[in-house]
Amino acid sequence: MIRYECFEWLAPLITDQIIVTSLSGQRVEWGQLSQHEGNLLLGSMGNALAVGTGLALALPHRKVIVFESDGSLLLSLFNLPTVANLGPQNLAVFVFDNQIYSGTRISEPTATAGKTSLELIAKGSGIDDAITVRDIEQFKKTAASALTGHGLKFIVAKVEESRSHRKIQRTNMDLLENKYQFVRYLEKTEGKPIFLGRG
Amino acid sequence: MEPDLASKLVNGLRSAGINFVTYLPETRLSQILPLMREDKFFQLAPVASEAEGVSIAAGASLGGKQVACYMEGTGVFVSTYNLLTVAERFGVPMLLLVSYVGSVADKRNSFLYVRRGTRMIPVWEALGIEYQILSDGENLETRIKDAARMMHALKLPVVLLFTGEFTS
Repeated sequence: MIRYECFEWLAPLITDQIIVTSLSGQRVEWGQLSQHEGNLLLGSMGNALAVGTGLALALPHRKVIVFESDGSLLLSLFNLPTVANLGPQNLAVFVFDNQIYSGTRISEPTATAGKTSLELIAKGSGIDDAITVRDIEQFKKTAASALTGHGLKFIVAKVEESRSHRKIQRTNMDLLENKYQFVRYLEKTEGKPIFLGRG
Repeated sequence: MEPDLASKLVNGLRSAGINFVTYLPETRLSQILPLMREDKFFQLAPVASEAEGVSIAAGASLGGKQVACYMEGTGVFVSTYNLLTVAERFGVPMLLLVSYVGSVADKRNSFLYVRRGTRMIPVWEALGIEYQILSDGENLETRIKDAARMMHALKLPVVLLFTGEFTS
């Protein structure tokens, strides 16, 4: 299983969910496959789960989906007990675990290539509904229920290393532009202002 | 911090419209926590690291909450990455409530804290984040409202550094 085929399957299923991505190839791949205005393409490691948690707490009636990577999550493991105890029931977390720091371009291994299981860390942190999936059919089945179902979900998708994102032309939408698109989408769909103050 | 000052601070936050607060309990201002916890106006998010405190607050801000992030001055050094890569880079309004440990007016200053205090202002200046130093409760509500108006105008974090009477 590679991450791109998971995204190809997920992208047409997104309707009014809020999406937060981490850095790395997933940002590039998701940005190509999904033009959803509710995409927040963060572009930094160690932030996606926390930002998604804040969104889920602020908008408990909206489904929030976070795309993390193993390297990014390992940078912010303290998120897991925090999320478990806050317990947002509208949050689904997908960790695309390729077991490497792909940005190094020399496939340096992460801890999950060794002895570490993110599923077990999540469970030990108090996230009961944590699972590891290893093939695309299992991914589809688990993801389908996470997209619409209730409850805090944590899905580790074990994926092969893929360098296909390096052939994709990257977006020219910078972070501020992405923020305003995202915020205006929320204002439109929530029917309320997000940012206060007028000129 | 004296109970009256803690109440004044919490009332000031409420008057400024702050309704979502991430926090890591610390040594100077924690008397505000039980007051906020019993007030349904505030949605609280306890965190394990000031780093995620900033990022969770950023998400809540983008979701329409008026947010504050409460931490000890020590936590500023933990969270500068998140302040830079999320709050500053995306331009997210948030009020940072920071106990200014190790500052000259910190009434519990010691060798444990002082370096964190003496390096504090250069950090905000390097990050380009506006800050105000508060050492007493005079006009506190107005000063918090001013800071909140500033964060909305800038669409950036604004910091209130609490020392003096707040650290007794």
